[in-house]
Amino acid sequence: MPATTENNNQGSFLGRISIRRNQVMSMDGSHDQEMEDLELFQKHIGDRFSELLSSTSEDSSSSSSSSSSGDALLSIAWLRRLLDEFLCCEAEFKAVVLMGRDPSQITKPPLDKLLPDLLDRGVKSLDVCNAVTLGLDAVKNLQRLAEIAVAALEQTPLGDGQVRRAKKALSALVAAMLNDDSNAAAKGTERTRSFGRRAGNTNATKYKSLSWSMAKNWSAAKQIHAMMSNLTAPRGAESSGLAQPMYMMSTVLVFVMWTLVAAVPCQERNGLGTHFPLPRQLGWAQPMIGLQEKIAEEWKKKEKKGNVGLLEEMQRMDKLGQSLIEFADSFQFPTETERMDEVKKHVEELGDICKKMEEGLEPLQQQIREVFHRVVRSRTEFLLALDQAAKSTTPAL
Amino acid sequence: MEKNLAENSGKAEDMNTGDNTTNSPAAPEPEDNKLDAKTDGEGEKAADSDHAEGDQDPKEEEKKEEEEEETAEAPPDSPPPNLEKVSEDIDKLLATQQHNADANKKEVTTFDTPNFIPIFLQLVEEKMKRYETNEAKLGENAEEKSSFLECVNRISKLMKHFSEYAQSHQEEDQEENKDKVKGKTDLIINGLGALQQRAMSFLEDEFRSLMEESRNQAKPAEQNQNQKGKQQQVAESSEPESPAEMVTDFPGLPEETVTKLSKIAKEMITGGYGKECCHVYALSRRHAFEDGMHKLLGYEKLSIDEVQKMQWEPLEREIPLWINTWKECTSVWFPGEWRLAESVFGEEKEQDSSLSTNNIAASLFANLSRGIMIQLLNFAESVAMTKRASEKLFKFLDMYETLRDVIPDMESLFPADDGEIKAETTSAKCRLGEAAVLIFCDLENSIKSETGKTPVAGGAVHPLTRYIMNYLRLACEYKDTLEEVFKEHSKMERADSTSRPQYEDTKPNNNNKQKENVSPFAAQLMRVMELLDTNLEGKAKLYKEVPLSCIFMMNNGRYIVQKIKGSTEIYEVMGETWCRKRSTELRTYHKNYQVETWSKILSSLSPKGLNENGKVHKPVLKERFKSFNAAFEEIHKTQSAWVVYDEQLQSELRVSISALVIPAYRSFLGRFSQYLDPGRQTVKYIKYQAEDVETCIDELFDGNPHGRR
Repeated sequence: MPATTENNNQGSFLGRISIRRNQVMSMDGSHDQEMEDLELFQKHIGDRFSELLSSTSEDSSSSSSSSSSGDALLSIAWLRRLLDEFLCCEAEFKAVVLMGRDPSQITKPPLDKLLPDLLDRGVKSLDVCNAVTLGLDAVKNLQRLAEIAVAALEQTPLGDGQVRRAKKALSALVAAMLNDDSNAAAKGTERTRSFGRRAGNTNATKYKSLSWSMAKNWSAAKQIHAMMSNLTAPRGAESSGLAQPMYMMSTVLVFVMWTLVAAVPCQERNGLGTHFPLPRQLGWAQPMIGLQEKIAEEWKKKEKKGNVGLLEEMQRMDKLGQSLIEFADSFQFPTETERMDEVKKHVEELGDICKKMEEGLEPLQQQIREVFHRVVRSRTEFLLALDQAAKSTTPAL
Repeated sequence: MEKNLAENSGKAEDMNTGDNTTNSPAAPEPEDNKLDAKTDGEGEKAADSDHAEGDQDPKEEEKKEEEEEETAEAPPDSPPPNLEKVSEDIDKLLATQQHNADANKKEVTTFDTPNFIPIFLQLVEEKMKRYETNEAKLGENAEEKSSFLECVNRISKLMKHFSEYAQSHQEEDQEENKDKVKGKTDLIINGLGALQQRAMSFLEDEFRSLMEESRNQAKPAEQNQNQKGKQQQVAESSEPESPAEMVTDFPGLPEETVTKLSKIAKEMITGGYGKECCHVYALSRRHAFEDGMHKLLGYEKLSIDEVQKMQWEPLEREIPLWINTWKECTSVWFPGEWRLAESVFGEEKEQDSSLSTNNIAASLFANLSRGIMIQLLNFAESVAMTKRASEKLFKFLDMYETLRDVIPDMESLFPADDGEIKAETTSAKCRLGEAAVLIFCDLENSIKSETGKTPVAGGAVHPLTRYIMNYLRLACEYKDTLEEVFKEHSKMERADSTSRPQYEDTKPNNNNKQKENVSPFAAQLMRVMELLDTNLEGKAKLYKEVPLSCIFMMNNGRYIVQKIKGSTEIYEVMGETWCRKRSTELRTYHKNYQVETWSKILSSLSPKGLNENGKVHKPVLKERFKSFNAAFEEIHKTQSAWVVYDEQLQSELRVSISALVIPAYRSFLGRFSQYLDPGRQTVKYIKYQAEDVETCIDELFDGNPHGRR
């Protein structure tokens, strides 16, 4: 089988991702070896996500920005780790399913259906990646507003002008975070408030314009739902074969995309839902279930407000913004020093968040782009393998 | 008073600006004034008409008193308080301070807060009130605006001055005096700051509406005409290659607007409000740019998922639009956008510590261009991901070329980019290239999978041959690109060892004959030709008659050679040797055909065995004639139904057959016809004269069975 010998020289890659596989694997497959690989893959997925779960600091919204125990759930740093884990899972997945394997194995049932499903999910995830990237652009715009507020409130002596300046920026910031598509009510009030010649410049349109749009009618929620369809755990005999890693990879992919959409403002997140079915009976899925529950909890907390994204930094920004607006509303020059100390702390924290965003958003976007390219490349590799398989079964002339 | 009156009529714009009562901001605007405002906003040069209208303003009389203080250009000796006068005082003060600072005198004048400062603040505030309640008026007169901007500038400078003062005095211990002085300075700073914020907020709105207004009106005035028609044309045109048709409308801003924006930006940055300004600019430009792509270039955003689900025809129609959009953006729009950013922000010197100056324009442009480029590249990626199909090759290559052609200019196009855009473009280009290679390699499969067992009637050119050769001819119009794509692709494979396309697997099989210097594309092309040959040979065996299979091979071989010679590009790739080899092969088939068909018949014309000791055996002779006639009739009957489409080949065949048969027949006749009795016998056995044979031969390979004559 030329394909098998052909692929054997890819051992270095295998080594890197710590999956041991015999260099010479005959095509009928040493079954034990395969079982071992699958188990290892399962274990790694479980480990990765439980690491994510356990190292997540609980008090995400507290002001302890030092967060020594780990990154806060859904913070930029945490999302970056999530994506790192995703990339690792993806590499391992390919090692297990694709490498050193006779391509005809991935065309046999039930893989003949499962693999195209997975590849289709991959394509759908690309749009999610793009939407999230745009969403992060919008977050950057929020960051700019917060920076204005910080710059204004850092001034000494703090005067009416800078306070008003900060308030203006913060109001825009807070309103933008409310301005989800779902939040029609908020939109309505905005519109009535902004009556007059300057209407074009007042809130409603300004906030809307903080983000860029995907294709017409594109919906992040629908996309995630589409990715979830047909996602069922393999049963019976299938559950011991390659169907299992296919299912795991699909689950990881859906989970990661769902999390990103939950965290970052995206076009049409309405109806995303807080849960999607994860296999409770399977060990490797437990940490993911744990994370999902935590995220769902956050979601419910913020739901009523009509949030645009659970990104931890955004949420804190929102809170700080509101408290600083309160301060601004009651501000009178000159300020009492006691009051200023508290404000100062808030401003510092807001400044910290801005800094985190400044440092983290760009790399996060790049990482999402990396995920994008990885998914594209893996898809190509799978398609090539399918081609090869099809070729070897084509009757010769 | 009189002076002021005169002043007012001369400065009617001021009146207009102020006509809407400073005292009651909510007062409704007179209708005609509103109109006025609009025309002014667009026209910018209505000073004269303003003048007239200003004179007619019924409210003018009431306003005069207020105007008196607010007229910027009032003569220096006019009664106080006067903005002009106060401004001069402030300028003097600032100049002194600047001088001191330059002279490196550490102590800043402890001003006892010159009393003109509060007056100045009050005046500016009043001036601003008018703007705030009747914003439309700002800026229709250049002088007026700059005078407002000058005020803002003074505020900023004062602000800076006092802040520095406050700072430097913070450390100094002035004991009992300290609090008092500090309180006083702080009060001034607060007043200044509040006013500054109002002014900045106003400028920000002004900046935004300037940007939005021109965005809604869309066009620089000069290019405004007939732009609609042109866009339409381009949107419908499916040939983006013709550069003449490309529209070069960039959704920029009119020059006057840019000038104003630049002035406002300068003041905002000077006052430390640069972030607001950039924020507004960035948002507005991105929306304007995307709007323009949609409205002017007809570019439609499509999700990757959507593209995968689209039929090829509609998708194929999107591709020229995309190509045009890409070319427009990279040739005109981005340079335009860059110039715009530079002319609004470019001249700024470092003022705001957090905004590194020269980079304001650069970073604004970089953010915008990156977003747009990624969006455009996503389409290329998504197209490259669609299901492979042979008909897609050419559009893929079009897109590939489009991307490739811009890559060398990337550095100058996106000077601030760290290589990301270039890398992304290269990646999308590679995806398209890969897809193109795979599609081209799929030709192998379509040849291999053509396993039909029905021979083509008459040995004519097989549809597969036609399809492949025409496809190759079209493909070779992209020869250089294909060469490049194949080269690139094999390079990529070496870099990324995790995947390996099939065409590499098959290489070892066919490199035995190929020399090292054959390009990957040429090798693939050769391989396709070889496969086609093999396939045709297989198909030739489907014919029961060997001569017919020779004709089949000749027909197809001829077709192939003709097509290759007809296209310089393929000819270059395949080379002269190859063609010569093919011609030799064709001659072999020709010879085989002759042998198979005509050698038997010629043997009946051979004098051998007829002539024994000078005696001709009549029965044998009769037999010879009979067998010749029968064989020739048979050949004529069957082979005139055979097909040779190529006229030259047809005549070559006929000529060569004639040359073979006719002399032999003629000499046979000449030699032996005499032995037959003239009359009945001759008629019976000599059915054909040499001319008749020739006529029959000329009827061969016509594709219509000729009945016996």
